[in-house]
Amino acid sequence: MRNMTWLLLAAHIVGVAAAAIAGRRSMKTGLVVAAVAPAATTLFAASELIASHPERIDELAWVPGLDLTFAFRTDALALMMTLLVSGIGALVFIYAAGYFSDDAAGSSRFPASLLAFSASMLGLVWADSVWTLFIFWELTSITSFLLVGHKNTDASVRTAARRALLITGGGGLVLLAGLLVLTGEIDSSLTGLTPVSGTGASLAAVLILIGAATKSAQVPFHVWLPGAMAAPTPVSAYLHSATMVKAGVLLVAVLGPAFADVATWRWLGLAFGAASMLWGAIGALRHRDAKLILAWGTVSQLGLLVTLLALGSDKAIFAAISLLFAHALFKAALFLVVGEVDIRTGTRNIDELHGLARSMPVAFAVATAAGLSMAGVPPLLGFMAKEAAVEAVLEAPNLDGLLALVAVVSGSVLTVAYTTRFLLGVFGPAATAGRSDTEVAPGRAAMTAPAVLLGLAGVVGYIAAETVTSLVGPAAVELAPGADAYTLIRWPGLKTAFVVSVGIVTAGAALGALLSRRSTAIPRPVGADAADASIENILAFAPRFTGRIQHGSLPVYLATMGTTASLAALPFVFDLSIDHLTLWDNPLQGVLAVAIVVSAAAGVVVRSRLGAALTLGAVGIGVSALFVNHGAPDLALTQLLVETIIVVGFVLGLGHLSRQFPEKSGSWRAARLFMSLAGGLVVMTGLAAASAAPTGVAPIAELADTAVSEGGGGNVVNVILTDTRALDTLGEVVVLATVAIGILALARVRQAEVLT
Amino acid sequence: MIVARSPVFQLGVQSASPLAVIVGVYLLFAGHNNPGGGFAAGLVLGAVVTLRTVAGLQRPVYGPTLITGGTLLVVAVAAAPLLWGDPLLDQKVVSVDAPVLGTIKTGSALPFDIGVTAIVVGLVIALLDGLSTSEALVPDRGSPSPHRSSS
Repeated sequence: MRNMTWLLLAAHIVGVAAAAIAGRRSMKTGLVVAAVAPAATTLFAASELIASHPERIDELAWVPGLDLTFAFRTDALALMMTLLVSGIGALVFIYAAGYFSDDAAGSSRFPASLLAFSASMLGLVWADSVWTLFIFWELTSITSFLLVGHKNTDASVRTAARRALLITGGGGLVLLAGLLVLTGEIDSSLTGLTPVSGTGASLAAVLILIGAATKSAQVPFHVWLPGAMAAPTPVSAYLHSATMVKAGVLLVAVLGPAFADVATWRWLGLAFGAASMLWGAIGALRHRDAKLILAWGTVSQLGLLVTLLALGSDKAIFAAISLLFAHALFKAALFLVVGEVDIRTGTRNIDELHGLARSMPVAFAVATAAGLSMAGVPPLLGFMAKEAAVEAVLEAPNLDGLLALVAVVSGSVLTVAYTTRFLLGVFGPAATAGRSDTEVAPGRAAMTAPAVLLGLAGVVGYIAAETVTSLVGPAAVELAPGADAYTLIRWPGLKTAFVVSVGIVTAGAALGALLSRRSTAIPRPVGADAADASIENILAFAPRFTGRIQHGSLPVYLATMGTTASLAALPFVFDLSIDHLTLWDNPLQGVLAVAIVVSAAAGVVVRSRLGAALTLGAVGIGVSALFVNHGAPDLALTQLLVETIIVVGFVLGLGHLSRQFPEKSGSWRAARLFMSLAGGLVVMTGLAAASAAPTGVAPIAELADTAVSEGGGGNVVNVILTDTRALDTLGEVVVLATVAIGILALARVRQAEVLT
Repeated sequence: MIVARSPVFQLGVQSASPLAVIVGVYLLFAGHNNPGGGFAAGLVLGAVVTLRTVAGLQRPVYGPTLITGGTLLVVAVAAAPLLWGDPLLDQKVVSVDAPVLGTIKTGSALPFDIGVTAIVVGLVIALLDGLSTSEALVPDRGSPSPHRSSS
């Protein structure tokens, strides 16, 4: 069916409104209503995949003149991502209905923001134009800000949300710059990319990778991710495992073919990936909050994905897509379990959790399945994906392959270690004897069911390896045509990769068991503190800077503007040529000119303010008469009306001022005289130069034709305003409306200040 | 407000304002083929509001409503063609044969212009509102203000 993507996005938008209204009754109602659109989208993606429809592109010309289109494509990769975004999304909505109590605050806001985020993410994975992608990229930043800052009464939560917004938002700006550079080299479509090369390509590679690294929490931009754990756990499970943090990885994957020949892309990607994989895993080993362990683990896993994508071989891309799929499933399951532990015991600290394996057997089973999948232990989906990754780095030639091999192996050892520590810490017995087991509240079915489903998915994925291959294989082929040679293998036998894997798991498990007995000091979030400090510094600097340039002295403002405008117009002096100047087209212009000059001169010498206002009005009326004489009635009419309003405004404003201009000291008066003369001269020469150097043929004939044929109006000026250049008008009136609202707001503030 | 509220001035403004409103509305509709347009119409109507405010015949109200209404209308007209799969701001021309009036030709530019008019009037009202706020509430700075009426 054509345009299905539009319909589904529209359904999400309707769902956002419906969830906001339904949420007023209770959080549960809102969440259940919100779950409808993601569930429908999951069914759509599943049916497309089962029917194996060919990829389709839905396009909508947005601003054809600027080559801006909304384009969505549903190829194998997009459908796989849809399955994750909407499938896990629907489960998270159900889980959240169990997570929140009925009297939870923000029940109207939360379901609506979560669904709005889900819609933004769908737009991002469907996008087939860099600009469509960028818009949805930014939308995910904004909606996730609302979600991270859900508990907005807590100052530390607000700080964390602001940090996440500013880092991902700043990264968005860098990405925009990168995309602008890139689209100078290639088309704005995201499919069928041709490799680019050269300096521009290297610059674009650096900028785009930085943008992707901020979103996907790569070192050193990862500092927002642990802080974002201040969000409610359903949000963490959804945003910080399955979806938002994958946006950067997806971008690296989709743009990878274009940068295949750019060395900067490969090396910077490897650097980001390797650093994140190791530092993230070390972070996960240092923290004692179960949710933070998982968050740091996510940084590490994302690093692994970026490493594989940067490596760029067919096998590496196949492994990356498989891991991306597996990671979404097991990490979401783990987060959901941690949320349940948090709700039922009241803590997430692994020092305070004892013996949960007995008291929460279902959660323990899910966590074990998901955790072992993360560690890469058979018989689980994560094992097959990790195995493919190890094979890919073993096969990779050259120095970059060696670097990736070292990073992947050591990162994987640490991953197994923090998984072991996580499982032992949360579910194992007390480290010191004699501590009683943690008390556990009764379970909630709405929380348990989604976690069980996601945990089972890892097992089922292993049994049905062929089905998973038919899902991730074609998705990888979209990026690397050679990837169809690879499949997920249940039991590889005694190959090098398998031996390496056995070594990784053994070493990691030993390290994790060792570390789980030690209680190290919780590390200070140095990076997050540094980020906050710089944000605070900018916030402190801004008012000082603004106070310096916006000092409130009207004469200095006018002098600055006048001088700048004069200097800017200075180059026109060189275009001046006397030959083109004529005295007048007809004598009436001379008469009007004399009247204008006399009025202007009177304005200079007159000492009463009211008199000055009136002479200025006279100048304006004289100019509009000139317009009439020149055959521009529209311009004249507008000028006349503006003059009228300005004079009335002057009269109103003059009530606050003395009647006469005050005496000014000599030097300031001389300076102003000089500036006025310079301004006048520059405008005069500028106009003369402009009329002396006409370029090309005046477009009036063409404009007049299109005005009648396309705009359906005889007044060319107004057809230009409302049709030909209506986008400009739209922008101008929006500015006008904004200014008006600003004036009203300032007036109200002043009113309030005076009254109190 | 500041200006002396002489009965002559008040009466003059009062009797002129309906005419000025007609001129403003004329300019709005005439703009497609003759001088005029949404901006000019807004300025005329804004001038009417200004004069009536100065004359003490009304207070500058409904500014926010006009601004928001106008902006929403303009954006709606701009975005509407997208629903039919046409590009943003695509112009639709409609021609109607009405009895007595003859053929009336209009297009989506008309509501666009009406929105512009509303924003301009709203802006003028906002300016008046700002001025009148400071006028009514800022304490007298002791400067001679001979324009202020004692009534």
